[in-house]
Amino acid sequence: MLDLTKGQFVKHVIFHPFEGFEDLRWKKQGSLGIAFGIVCLLFIQQIAYSRLYGFQYYSDYDKLFNIVPYIFKSFILFGTWVVANWAMCTLFDGEGSMKNIFINSAYALVPYITGYLVGTVMSHFLIRDEYVFIQAVEVIGLCWSFVLFISGIKAVHQFSFGKTIALILLTLVAMLAILFLLVLLLTLFQQVIIFILSIYTELSYRLRV
Amino acid sequence: MSSLKKLLSLVSAAALTVSALAVNVSALEAYDPYSYDRWGDAVSSQAGYTAEKYIDGEMIGCGNFYEPADLYISHDNLMYIADRGNNRIVITDLDFNFKKEMTEFTYNGETLTLKRPTGVFVDQYTGNIYICDTENSRVLKCDTDGVVDRIFGKPETELYDQNLTYNPSKVLVDKAGNVYVVVRSITSGAVMFNSEGEFLGFYGANRVEATAEVIANAFWNLISTDAQREHSQKQTPIGFTNFDIDEDGFIYTVTDSQEMTTDLVKKLNPRGDNILDSVGAADMTFGDISPAYYSMYAKNSSLNDIDIGPNGELNILDFQHGRVFQYDKECWLLFIMGGSGNQLGLFNSAAAIESHDDKIYVLDSLKNNITIFKRTVFGEIVTEASNLYNDGLYEESLEPWRNVLKYDGNYRRAYIGIGNALYNRYEYREAMDYFEISISRGRYNRAYEGYRDLWLKANYMKCIVVIVILIILIIVYKRFRKKGKIVYPWEKKRKGGV
Repeated sequence: MLDLTKGQFVKHVIFHPFEGFEDLRWKKQGSLGIAFGIVCLLFIQQIAYSRLYGFQYYSDYDKLFNIVPYIFKSFILFGTWVVANWAMCTLFDGEGSMKNIFINSAYALVPYITGYLVGTVMSHFLIRDEYVFIQAVEVIGLCWSFVLFISGIKAVHQFSFGKTIALILLTLVAMLAILFLLVLLLTLFQQVIIFILSIYTELSYRLRV
Repeated sequence: MSSLKKLLSLVSAAALTVSALAVNVSALEAYDPYSYDRWGDAVSSQAGYTAEKYIDGEMIGCGNFYEPADLYISHDNLMYIADRGNNRIVITDLDFNFKKEMTEFTYNGETLTLKRPTGVFVDQYTGNIYICDTENSRVLKCDTDGVVDRIFGKPETELYDQNLTYNPSKVLVDKAGNVYVVVRSITSGAVMFNSEGEFLGFYGANRVEATAEVIANAFWNLISTDAQREHSQKQTPIGFTNFDIDEDGFIYTVTDSQEMTTDLVKKLNPRGDNILDSVGAADMTFGDISPAYYSMYAKNSSLNDIDIGPNGELNILDFQHGRVFQYDKECWLLFIMGGSGNQLGLFNSAAAIESHDDKIYVLDSLKNNITIFKRTVFGEIVTEASNLYNDGLYEESLEPWRNVLKYDGNYRRAYIGIGNALYNRYEYREAMDYFEISISRGRYNRAYEGYRDLWLKANYMKCIVVIVILIILIIVYKRFRKKGKIVYPWEKKRKGGV
């Protein structure tokens, strides 16, 4: 039963939202490489969504392109999610390792990414009156991912449904705390760098005279 | 006849091209002409008007002006200048030949003089002159000989708060002979009299801008008692500064405010409603879109005069930056000219603006002169194109718009004009390109709809064939997969491994 490759397991998990992750857990067929690929796809999808959307739809100021927000919206946000979830699950006696949380969360993202990528492609062929079709595809992808997400977290920690929801909410709070600390850390480092730089400037002026 | 016409138009077209080549944008402005793109960013542009010369009182031959305040060009091509500091009205023709100076007026045998007049208007139906005699708190209605027919003083009625001063600064008269007076101390609109001098009410008040404070006060007013309300601060709008009336009897107002953005420019119908909504410009930013910064202080445009040109274009004067903004009647920005400074074409204290044919006259009350802007070749082409466009003659406007692009590739309106002309000719593909350059997504959407419809009609059979072939291919593929005849390399590896 279920002699699937790692690649085939992704498909299996996505199309079996309720037992797919359990199967993945028992077969130990999660792949870190595929998961990382999915997160990279998420990054590409974010950029495509705001930049490659059909001309008749989007209205962003597109004279400038800044990649930092997209890195934040994909890699950093996802990384924070994994770390925060892992940190929180230890308090709840969850069984998931950081690797498995990473794999399950990434696999759960696939419908979302697909939905929005398909929507982006569709936006080049549809006019504004037909936007509802694009919206449908995107919303279906989003909801599907949401179900997979809960199922994935539930499977990786072997939790009940209620406990999973509680954990997800707590994880969101923890993410906020982590991001806040990160920003704080960055500003502090900035101060330190400015301090060192100004000392260097001062010294270089003195030495020249 | 028609061949003669053709020949004539050919010759004139040829002459235009030759002159266009020869002129070569020779006029060096004292400022960099600019315009705004889709995002409201300033982009450099060609000059639509060029400052030709200036005229002061000595050159006219009536002695220098002193703090002149208003300018009016009447229907019979006479220019009336309210020379505030010299307490007189100067009348010249449009070549600035001195005609007349009005200082003394007779009213029922009495002799009246002016005290710092700041507004003058001529009724084109009766030829009567209306003068805002500001410091004497009255508006005089007189004929060209200075015989005063009626005085519009402070309205003695309960509607007019008698504690407020009556310092009329601008005046105009509509077709029915109603007189509208802008009083600086009144914020509830222009004071309106009928032709008999009876007070009718106030006309066209601005709205209060919905700032956070105003919204908060509205909330507190809901729950406070009458006594509390009595003592709370009242929210009053800013009264408008100046106005003009167009041929159809619509009154345009401008409001001189650095802080507010609501109702700075309005087009009022006789009821006093702002009908700029009809062209989607009721909440548009007139004047400079982003403020200029002078040593950290943001300076927004402050609009203090408006003039309606012969084709319904709006010439709006910005006192703060000494600039003139010309919009067409659909409120599309056409040109920006002027700046602050002392050179020709720059202003210290721009006070009034008037236009006649292809000229714009700007009165400066510190330089005490009138600057004359003349439309350039580029300006002519843009005006022609935009008039055709606004009349709905999209296809006729195609060539003028293409000419505009030869002069100024930044001129966004030209791309939209060309796009619309092509759209009307069912050339959707090209129209899409122009709409994409001009970043007008709604129009692009329409053009794309047309393009897609045509494409589908033309390729209907091909689409069906492709879809059928695809379905067959999928079925065949599935069959082969089931039989195990298609095996991917990664699957082979797995089978061997376990």
